Amino acid sequence: MDKKAILSDYIKNEIIRNRNFALDENDDLVGAGILDSLRILQLVAFIEKTFGIGVPDEAVIYDNFHSLTAIVSYLDGFSKDSR
Amino acid sequence: MVRRLLYLNGIAILCVVLFHTTSWGLTAMFAWTPRYLPVSEPVFDQTGSLPYYWIRIIEQVIAIAVPTFLFVSGYFVAFTTGHRDNLAWGQIWGRIKSLLMPYTIWSVLIWLSWFLLLGDISSFRGYVTDFLTGNTTITFYYVPLLIQYYVLSPLIIRFARDKWAILLTITGLFQLILQIGIMLELMYGLDNIPKIMGWFAQMPKWVFLARLFWFVLGMVVGFHITQFKQFLSRFKWMFFNIAVVCIPFGVLEWEAIFHFSGRDYLNMRETIIDSIYTMAFIFAFLGFTDSPLLWYSRICDLGAKSFGIYITHITVMDYVAKAIYRFVPWLLGVQILFQPIILLVGLGAPLVLMYAVEKTSMRKYYSYLFG
Repeated sequence: MDKKAILSDYIKNEIIRNRNFALDENDDLVGAGILDSLRILQLVAFIEKTFGIGVPDEAVIYDNFHSLTAIVSYLDGFSKDSR
Repeated sequence: MVRRLLYLNGIAILCVVLFHTTSWGLTAMFAWTPRYLPVSEPVFDQTGSLPYYWIRIIEQVIAIAVPTFLFVSGYFVAFTTGHRDNLAWGQIWGRIKSLLMPYTIWSVLIWLSWFLLLGDISSFRGYVTDFLTGNTTITFYYVPLLIQYYVLSPLIIRFARDKWAILLTITGLFQLILQIGIMLELMYGLDNIPKIMGWFAQMPKWVFLARLFWFVLGMVVGFHITQFKQFLSRFKWMFFNIAVVCIPFGVLEWEAIFHFSGRDYLNMRETIIDSIYTMAFIFAFLGFTDSPLLWYSRICDLGAKSFGIYITHITVMDYVAKAIYRFVPWLLGVQILFQPIILLVGLGAPLVLMYAVEKTSMRKYYSYLFG
């Protein structure tokens, strides 16, 4: 499963708690109230555990977490930087 | 540091539940003595006893609770703003909606339970006032308070970014004056202090001025995280030591206020040492970024569920304590049994309820009920 699918599944199952939720990859997760302070922290913990990376504090910013596309883009950039 | 905020929230919600447990402990120890002692009026003989000081120490240790929640909320306003000039109103409304839904549902459920179980009914105006001021339970003030902060965020953000030192000084000074007012009112009574200090002392908890400093502090740290990380790391042991020292001094401070007041009993209020302790605790906790955390997953899980626990625990505790009062009054005189029972239901019942909702077809309504 690719990163987007893994993250989408997690957000739908564990955060929204509705498997059938129509989550678009460009939806503003923060603006829609899907991600609040606690859920962002949960998501960061999930990302670190699932993808085996440490998300620096300075990277936990809206620009990197506001949508599925943004999160995947951040993770892809993180992976490239680590090579 | 950021990932520790979820753990910190977990600690804070444990503190909230513990605080309300000890409050019931004090109610049983004093106001409810006629139910288990051969007295016709409440007696205060247990002041100064071992259970009494045990409760006072716990109350001091857990003073961090609500300020910590506000700090974390303020931090995430900074997160949500990011590099943009300000928050979009759509984002503010999204956050307010996620608080309002569970708050409204539980307010109505509680009013309904009062009517069905106790025959209590209020006027429409009474319900509206309770809803707007968070007066339905002793914990609900937090929701109108936090909503005010979100609404004010666009104004606060402008200063939190560029004039944060002035902003923290002003809100910190206000917090200090508020707490001086509270202390004066407790010690001398409302009629014997200057009117302005009485105004500060009487400020309702739901009014945004009451705890603005903590929300602002979180926002400032969020906007200046790199500088604060260096600062917190450098002075972490100083903050740790301040926090530790504040515990016994906070207990002594409260006892001094209590004895000076000449009253039989005082309801707990936040004092100056409580604020110093809270700030030192938060800073020390965030400063020790590499220290391992006990029961990390479990407490983070509590942190993630903190709003749901917060909004539901007090009513469960309320009914259980009153059921014990009615049906098993001798238990009120055995604090070592009474308090663990209240704690267990206060924490356990919300968690069981949240688990049950999550595992059933009600799952899609989870966020409406628990945030």
